[in-house]
Amino acid sequence: MPSRGVVTGTGAVCPLGRSSEEFYRRLLAGETAIRPMTAEERAGLQATHVARCDGFCPQPEISPMKARRFDRGSQYAIIACAQAIAEAGYDVAKDPGSIGIAIGTGSAGAGALTEFLRVLLSESPEAAPPFHFPNTVANAPASQVSIELNLHGPNVTVTQKDPSALNALLFASLALGSRKARAMIVGGVDEWNAVYALGFDRVSALRGEKRASGIVQGEGAFALLLEEDAAALARRARPLARLAGIAVAGVPTEPYRFAPDASAMARAVQGALEDAGCLPSQVGLWFPSRDGVQEMDAAELAAMRRLFRTLPPEILVKSAVGEMAAAGGGQLVAACRALADPAGPFGQSAGPRRALVNSFGAGGNFLCAILEAIPEETS
Amino acid sequence: MQRERGVAVTGLGAVTAIGRSAPEFWRALTAGACGIRPLSLFDASGYRTQTAAEVSEIPDGFLTAAERRRMSRADRMGVAAAAEAIAASGLDLSREDPTRVGVILGGGTSGLLDSEAFYELHLRGRKGRPSRVLNHLPDAITDRVAQRWGLQGIKSTITTACSSSANAMGYAFDAIVSGLADVVLTGGSDVLARLTYGGFNSLRSVDPEPCRPFDRERRGLSIGEAAGFLVFEEIEHARRRGAPVDARFLGYGVTSDAFHMTAPDPSGAAGGRAIRAALASARINAEDVDYVNAHGTATLQNDSAETAALKDGLGARAREIPVSSIKSMIGHCLCASGAIEAVATVQTLREQAVPPTIHYEHPDPACDLDYVPNEARDAAVRIALSNSFAFGGNSTVVVFARP
Repeated sequence: MPSRGVVTGTGAVCPLGRSSEEFYRRLLAGETAIRPMTAEERAGLQATHVARCDGFCPQPEISPMKARRFDRGSQYAIIACAQAIAEAGYDVAKDPGSIGIAIGTGSAGAGALTEFLRVLLSESPEAAPPFHFPNTVANAPASQVSIELNLHGPNVTVTQKDPSALNALLFASLALGSRKARAMIVGGVDEWNAVYALGFDRVSALRGEKRASGIVQGEGAFALLLEEDAAALARRARPLARLAGIAVAGVPTEPYRFAPDASAMARAVQGALEDAGCLPSQVGLWFPSRDGVQEMDAAELAAMRRLFRTLPPEILVKSAVGEMAAAGGGQLVAACRALADPAGPFGQSAGPRRALVNSFGAGGNFLCAILEAIPEETS
Repeated sequence: MQRERGVAVTGLGAVTAIGRSAPEFWRALTAGACGIRPLSLFDASGYRTQTAAEVSEIPDGFLTAAERRRMSRADRMGVAAAAEAIAASGLDLSREDPTRVGVILGGGTSGLLDSEAFYELHLRGRKGRPSRVLNHLPDAITDRVAQRWGLQGIKSTITTACSSSANAMGYAFDAIVSGLADVVLTGGSDVLARLTYGGFNSLRSVDPEPCRPFDRERRGLSIGEAAGFLVFEEIEHARRRGAPVDARFLGYGVTSDAFHMTAPDPSGAAGGRAIRAALASARINAEDVDYVNAHGTATLQNDSAETAALKDGLGARAREIPVSSIKSMIGHCLCASGAIEAVATVQTLREQAVPPTIHYEHPDPACDLDYVPNEARDAAVRIALSNSFAFGGNSTVVVFARP
């Protein structure tokens, strides 16, 4: 079976912590960063809750001078990606062309976009601040990361609803397979934005006072360093996990509708299992997509019950950091840390050290990935 | 040993300011038609410039009134171009395994025109209709196309600004070669919006007159809108059904300039890296390249940096081959530019003629290649590159070959 890559480092700047270790520890402890919205955040919305990177400060990693040039999403991403490279011990300067980046996002650029448009629409086109325009593009965070960390390899941003980060993982894995890079930073980034929240609220996507079904929005950045097996082995890196399988399933539907199609979800899970060459019984941990959209959550459960006699133990990431296009990145980071943690959910048991990550979004976009621990003797 | 999978282009679709179908587009390109005219889609009087390459009428007569209401302008243009590409390919999608057919597009402004109107009302303390923001996200068209043709395979939207649809084609190629899909509808649709029009104007990068790529007197870009679609199909799959093959997609290079958020590397080294990566991916040499469809935005910085990049990436070959920018005719179609320029590149291979760079009058010592000034010409083209360079230093070069 062709190699899909090993994960040698992780990073996180999210509502539940400013490093992947802190995020993982607090997630395992059952903490959640979801909190009631402030009056200013709520401003007439039905939504009541949110998870944000409260008190985030870009220092010490990014100097105050530099920080002013970056939108918030870029700040999150630069720090999370630098953490992943540092943990992996990857020497970028040795060969900048060997490493690239693939990031999933649903909202990157929102801050700059809404500010630029606010002035353009309420004052005049001539008054619109040129400074903000370059940061209105969704690829601003990934590109700022590539400039800051001097990555010369592939540089791609993917937007495909909730599973955007897993879509980025798929792209990155293919990029390693076609020798476009030896290492790819993979992850997701999103920034909470009041105007975007208003839009989501108006189309009834957010859980709120009179709305039991819906998401709670999150924000932050998550990063993994996905590296070619041979390249990681050659530099004696210690991988946290291996990407064993990944699969995608689509449902034809309106872009903004939910498609609670358990068969298509099961097809995505089954596809990932087959790609990983393992049976349901060989999965020891499950990161559900579950995010509070009731019909989708029910369909996911139905899909899992079709394939699994006993459901594996689960860890709910979106209940801790909220839902966003980047959330899959959080599930992947948590899965990698759990697989490498001798005291973690797998414990000392001889059970299968494999984790399933589900990421099911609106518009009928479903992706699943399976990560597995690397046996001692080869790591 | 397992047969290596490859990608054939079996269908093209185009909606542009100079042609509402791929054949019409090609005729206009070779006639040197200019689609850059006074902008009418929204009131342009408050902007520094008032011209754009706008699509006057979208060929979407096959949509019902209800469908048209639900769709954004970009959706309608995209669906029209997709319908043309599918019809041209002769694919009967009802007979394909729907899980093996995907959609991978470059994402652009999508429903932004509508969400701008919603936001404008909000800023005035009024409530817009929620339906106006439903199509806001750039991935809407991808889902829309999959919905219309009942596709259940991979769906993805690349959002790397002006290289979006070039990267989408690369991802589509990877998906097919790796065995994830047999057919992928790829390309992109991007329409004019106040954000992008105001944005490039605020950066003082728009020429008030139709743009003049590679000309010494060039003063910036012209913004355009377009939809370009290509049917990518696994070669054996296409051969089995006796499909018309327009071209093969040989590979692509995608690199990061790691230089500056908006400025290209003037030395050409960064762009040259992308070109070399494309050659390596396609397993060809610089000498094999017969034509380059340039990014050629007509900004002062891009055109000289791209010229340097072509010399860096192709060496002496850069001076021997035609290089042209069709942005002189259809403007910079931003996130759809890679797709629509790929359509033109495939047509170049098929028709053995290169489209011109129009409005070219004054040679620039910093741009000293053969830009095919003002008139199309016949040429033997076996392999062609198409360049896309974006904000953020996202550089992508795609490689097509005659079947």
